[in-house]
Amino acid sequence: MQKMVIIGAGMASGRMLEHIHESDPDAFDVTIFNAEPRGNYNRIMLSPVLAGDRSFEEIVTHDDNWYADNNITTRFGERVTGVDRERKVVIGEKGEVPYDKLILATGSSPFIIPIPGHDLPGVVGYRDLEDTDAMIDASAIRGSSAVVIGGGLLGLEAAAGLRMRGMEVTVLHIAGHLMDRQLDETAGYLLKLDLEKRGIKVITEANTKEIIGNGKVEKVLLDDGTELAADIVVMAAGIRPAVQVGRDAGLDVGRAIKVNAQMCTSDPDIFAVGECVEFNENIFGLVAPLYDQAKVLANTLLGKEDVFTVRELSTKLKVTGCDLFSAGDFAEGEGREDIVFRDPKRRVYKRLIIENDRLIGAVMYGDTADSNWFFGLIKDGTDIEEMRETLIFGPSFQGGGAAASDPLAAVAALPLEAEICGCNGVCKGDIIKAIEGGVTTLDDVRTKTKASASCGTCTGLVEQVLAVSLGDDFEIKAEKPVCKCTDLTHEDVRRLIKAQELKTQPAVWQELAWKTPNGCHVCRPAINFYLLSDWPLDYQDDLQSRFVNERNHANIQKDGTYSVMPRMWGGMTTPDELIAVANAAKKFDAAVKVTGGQRIDLLGIKKEDLPEIWSDLNNAGMVSGHGYTKGLRTVKTCVGTDWCRFGTQDSTGLGIKLEKKLWGSWTPHKVKLGVSGCPRNCAEATCKDVGIICVDSGYQISVAGAAGMDVKMTESLVDVATEAEVEEWVTAFVQLYRENAKYLDRAYKWVAKVGLDWVKEELSDPDTRKALVERFDISQSVYQKDPWADHVSNRAEQYKHLADLTLEAVT
Amino acid sequence: MNINADPVPDTFVRVAEVWVPKEGRLVHAKGDYVHSPAFAEASVAESFAKGEGLPGKVWESGKPIVLKEFDGSYFKRVEAATEAGLTSAVAIPVFAEDTLKAVLVLFCSADADHMGAIEVWEYMQERLTLVEGYYGSAKEFEAASQDMVFSHGQGLPGGVWSANTPILKRDIARLGSFMRSEQAAAAGFKIGLGLPIPTPDDNVVVLTLLSAPNTPIAHRFEIWDARPECVGATRQAQLIDGLCEREGALWAQQNPPVDPPMAHAWKGPIGQVLGTGLPYVQREGAGLPAGYTSMFALPIYREADLAYVVACYL
Repeated sequence: MQKMVIIGAGMASGRMLEHIHESDPDAFDVTIFNAEPRGNYNRIMLSPVLAGDRSFEEIVTHDDNWYADNNITTRFGERVTGVDRERKVVIGEKGEVPYDKLILATGSSPFIIPIPGHDLPGVVGYRDLEDTDAMIDASAIRGSSAVVIGGGLLGLEAAAGLRMRGMEVTVLHIAGHLMDRQLDETAGYLLKLDLEKRGIKVITEANTKEIIGNGKVEKVLLDDGTELAADIVVMAAGIRPAVQVGRDAGLDVGRAIKVNAQMCTSDPDIFAVGECVEFNENIFGLVAPLYDQAKVLANTLLGKEDVFTVRELSTKLKVTGCDLFSAGDFAEGEGREDIVFRDPKRRVYKRLIIENDRLIGAVMYGDTADSNWFFGLIKDGTDIEEMRETLIFGPSFQGGGAAASDPLAAVAALPLEAEICGCNGVCKGDIIKAIEGGVTTLDDVRTKTKASASCGTCTGLVEQVLAVSLGDDFEIKAEKPVCKCTDLTHEDVRRLIKAQELKTQPAVWQELAWKTPNGCHVCRPAINFYLLSDWPLDYQDDLQSRFVNERNHANIQKDGTYSVMPRMWGGMTTPDELIAVANAAKKFDAAVKVTGGQRIDLLGIKKEDLPEIWSDLNNAGMVSGHGYTKGLRTVKTCVGTDWCRFGTQDSTGLGIKLEKKLWGSWTPHKVKLGVSGCPRNCAEATCKDVGIICVDSGYQISVAGAAGMDVKMTESLVDVATEAEVEEWVTAFVQLYRENAKYLDRAYKWVAKVGLDWVKEELSDPDTRKALVERFDISQSVYQKDPWADHVSNRAEQYKHLADLTLEAVT
Repeated sequence: MNINADPVPDTFVRVAEVWVPKEGRLVHAKGDYVHSPAFAEASVAESFAKGEGLPGKVWESGKPIVLKEFDGSYFKRVEAATEAGLTSAVAIPVFAEDTLKAVLVLFCSADADHMGAIEVWEYMQERLTLVEGYYGSAKEFEAASQDMVFSHGQGLPGGVWSANTPILKRDIARLGSFMRSEQAAAAGFKIGLGLPIPTPDDNVVVLTLLSAPNTPIAHRFEIWDARPECVGATRQAQLIDGLCEREGALWAQQNPPVDPPMAHAWKGPIGQVLGTGLPYVQREGAGLPAGYTSMFALPIYREADLAYVVACYL
């Protein structure tokens, strides 16, 4: 009988032994080492043990009796210190064991991030029963806190288990969304919601700087200065194959112990199986391929032919009540097509990724009933062309019956307390109550509830509530949706972002039932603007959702070069600034143009030169003129009382003040101001978005002018006596425009839609004005910064050529 | 837990009965009274108006009621129940949205050596607070429970609340494994079963049953997932968790599950629940697991859809 020694009593070697004993129980005299003081248990079920959903006894696969019954000599709790391949012996702490065949099943070790404090007592990995017990012990103290580093499968299962045991739990995840290797952004967003519902705090994009404690873990410090109390820190940042024994034995080791398709290492008498294995540059962490390997190895050892192949895998999170599924490749790419289904009310998200008429990936959250069917299509490479239209609805829809996404899904999912009409504070429940009371038309709703009776931007939503409640008895007027990704209009989306407090793009895509995974080039800039304008402190501006000019902070020209235009406050400049501009123009060979907005434009700048020219202009004290943004462009002024015989006020000074107040803010479209020192209106203020005419008695503020494709004179908003009042009214008007207008509507178009009377009514209330200014100031605390300086410091790399193709040929 | 031991006949739950609405009253639909024929006789002829007797009170209140003693209460079958050795009861309404589908009543028998606990937790001020509880002689556990509140995701009640799913917890007497583990150990409780109970007013109510090995709530527990988003449109259910004193763990050993046990409408006891949407009680007959002679099963709805079936085998 051949002697077989196995190092590691884990799931892979356990399954291999089962196969061998089923086929030929007398083939080998087996000795098995295990560093853990126990035999094989179902390691992947440790998290239910942690949660208390399973007992450890339940997850033991092979108990002492099993090993005894199968005549296996166990050396549990004994580490292997070496392998002598020449003498063919395994050297254990308590003595040597000779082998004819050696199986390395050493598994993997948790990766402990080498940050300061990682070796403090109270920092644990998550790998075995000892780790699980340490966490259970830590949770025994009422009110104790845990920090889990890593928002992957294992980390989240640990977090849910610890929370179930009563701990205050925070999950830190370095990527932008949870389980980023298995889920896309939307599924990650839904998972985060589910975990937060369990009282687990989740911080994404979290960089752990240090674990602090005096003799034991006390807190975790993030690099943004956040401190988190911790009685235990669980490192769930991934695993590393345990290869030391193999490496010391001189076997071929890459990222793990290299094996062929028969699980044989570089030594013909040594085999490896499980997480310690590298096969065709793949390493393995899920159980399914480990079981495949175990079967192949058993057959190989028994002299039967078998070949290990890497197969498609699927993922399931073992957190009670979280239904998610992920399989295949779900990255976006050329030639790939997405099919998306969302049901905001049921928190369901399904996304299928198709390439060349084959399903290559699937991500599902909330409804995983058909996941096995989809997984089968992926594994089998089935041609899905014939069923493409109904594919997302699963096997029961194939061969008949059609279904379509519900355009009213987002509104149907709204809770009754969601505010539909912001002007009059009318909730969905109020409207439904009116409908239940007999109201059947939009006009009736307006009369009864005041919803949609003011600015009217919520009209679409009110109509949808009517449609949801009355069914076919109510017909919605067809309004143009934002784009093909949604049936909602811009106004609907704006209102719903506020009502549902949607603060991220994935939240918008999911809760408003977007038909695409993450929007398109039409809707993304709009959604990005709505989010940053409504939630300046919560939402992070997404550069990828901006037009190219805004991404590069410069206007691209017809020849591919860019224009650079520094800000000249109120049209004023200085000799030093002009010298800096002239030097920059010469240095970068720019064409120089004086603009209608009283500034100087440098044209013909190459993309790679942008950071340098910005840096030069920054050094002269100049900042970006934002000549490329949907934001404040210029404040055109006349010379005012300083120089002009007719000037009634300091129009230049007022213009500079307004520009310094408003610059940097993002708006639905560009915003231009003019301040004229007298009614002669040399600054052409009455064709601007906001125009101020200075008069002897004070200031006439008018709004909603245009001088482009449309030409329109401004309309009077208010007359005020002081500069401070001008600043307050103008700021409040801009903020009202920011908060309510459709993206890419100039102010005059927006005012035409909502009515100047409504604008006046809103702004004439001092409290409303004050609140608008306060919200504007909060936004400016985030966004009033010079993008040139920011890009020079942090993003200069993006302006470099991808490759230098100018190298001379080798001669 | 000794998972290999033969089932002991004297479970904490001794009688299970189902009442269904008919013409404005709750009428007897099913019952298992093997230990109490006189009580059976007293029950089958009964019917209850809304607010009348234990089933009627549950109908009226819309949430579970724990009756710690029968004498002096609104309970109508006092004499027969006392004669049958029954000491307490819990009545569980089954609502699909605001429609009452049925009331399941479980009668228990306890003394100084035989105990179990039944608790009703309800949402108040952003926490789950104990509103009703039967603890028998587990006084220390009762005292500890009176002071407890659970937030989202915390402990068995909080976990059931956040997951909106029935949860079967093991080893609750182990220190750290359960928020009242010390007192659970003293009382001998080993297993906790938490059930989300839908109410017509949408308030959060969680029922917990705590089981001790010498008088278990039941000898076998099963949790079946019948949600369409889990099993599809066909009326069927997948076994997602379970524990049996004879067979040990009942859950799928692989993740994701490979060929998990399924139940189909009208086939077997679980199938009866899937078919009718009502609680089910069975004594003997086909479909019971080997070694078991009776069972009761409770459907749990999410809005109008049957979502879970929890089955207990005595």
